[in-house]
Amino acid sequence: MVAFSEPWLRRFQARVNADPEMQVIGDWFTTAFSLTCGDARCIVRFERGKLVETIASPRLDVRCAFGFRANEEIWTRFFAKNPEPLYHDFFAMLMRVPGFVLEGDTLAAMQHARALHRAMNVMRAVD
Amino acid sequence: MEPIVGRYLTLQVDGQTHRIFFEEAGEGVPLLCLHTAGADSRQYRHLLNDSAVTRRYRVVAFDMPYHGRSNPPDGWWLRKYRLTTDDYVKLIRAVWTALDLTRPVVLGCSMGGAIVLKLAAEYQHQLRGVIGLESSAYAPGRYNEYLHHPAIHGGELAASYTYGLCAPMSPEASARENWWYYSQSGPGVYAGDVHFYSMDWDGRTDVGRIDTSACKVSLLTGIYDYSCTPGMTREVARAIPGSRLVIMPGIGHFPMIENYPVFREFLLPELDFMLA
Repeated sequence: MVAFSEPWLRRFQARVNADPEMQVIGDWFTTAFSLTCGDARCIVRFERGKLVETIASPRLDVRCAFGFRANEEIWTRFFAKNPEPLYHDFFAMLMRVPGFVLEGDTLAAMQHARALHRAMNVMRAVD
Repeated sequence: MEPIVGRYLTLQVDGQTHRIFFEEAGEGVPLLCLHTAGADSRQYRHLLNDSAVTRRYRVVAFDMPYHGRSNPPDGWWLRKYRLTTDDYVKLIRAVWTALDLTRPVVLGCSMGGAIVLKLAAEYQHQLRGVIGLESSAYAPGRYNEYLHHPAIHGGELAASYTYGLCAPMSPEASARENWWYYSQSGPGVYAGDVHFYSMDWDGRTDVGRIDTSACKVSLLTGIYDYSCTPGMTREVARAIPGSRLVIMPGIGHFPMIENYPVFREFLLPELDFMLA
């Protein structure tokens, strides 16, 4: 899977930092979260709506508030160009796809629901 | 100028006074429309403006108490808002009676799509029919405490939590419009509605009592709905002999607002069926 590789993270960073909606809604979006696919894990760190750091294979001293974890098959369906029902939105997957997990501080995740939702939707548009 | 006219009416339900906002358009058979959890009658603006509907139906959409322009009842600050099946039915009946709607068709979406099944079970001889959008007889799993939490912006969470219930191909402006409506509900109102939808509501026994020779039943569910999945509506259809089932491609949980041009192609034949 291409997603979450270092080149992909750079493309995601450019894309989300150029997103006009995030520039409107991101003022309080200061947090870090992880994206885990099987054994591979990365962390993305936002400050005031800007993705300022992407860390592929983080060490244990890299902190994050929460994260999304799933296997490759689930992420592939999420990133499909025309996603099938139940895989078309991360809230749908949290409710209906048991292998898609929100881990860590779920309160922090939901405090950022709007910007987080936008970031995850922008992520799907990364080539 | 749009043909929609909005008015208020005052109702008594269980000793409580409710000032209810409703809007209507058209003439003919009454079509009473029920909005979704945490939203209001604005979701029906396209239906109310559709002359293919309003030339045959008197379309009425109202805001439930606590929603839109209907106030909460006096003393609301002393009660946690929790909608129940019983309260919901009584309120709909009170509106239906106050507006003198004779043998109406009741159309509801999501929690409205659930309660139309209860109405069809209890009042089948006083109804022409029901149209359930995203109808389930039992829908656990939507409630969580974050929906009303002091550390979370409830409007933004409710709106974001429901945004993905729209189909990805629905026009963005329409899905965003629904987002806006959801962002506007009062503190705890969406949570109180979801309490009904996901915790109080269980119509699995009731649906078996619906006689479609007395009260017609049409069930329409969007294929992208993950709150009430097509499978959940299929179960309802199986339990109601004579009901009509349509699974709508390219549609999610909010057909009347997220993509009305596509939805109406599925709705108009059901409205014909109700009049036949």
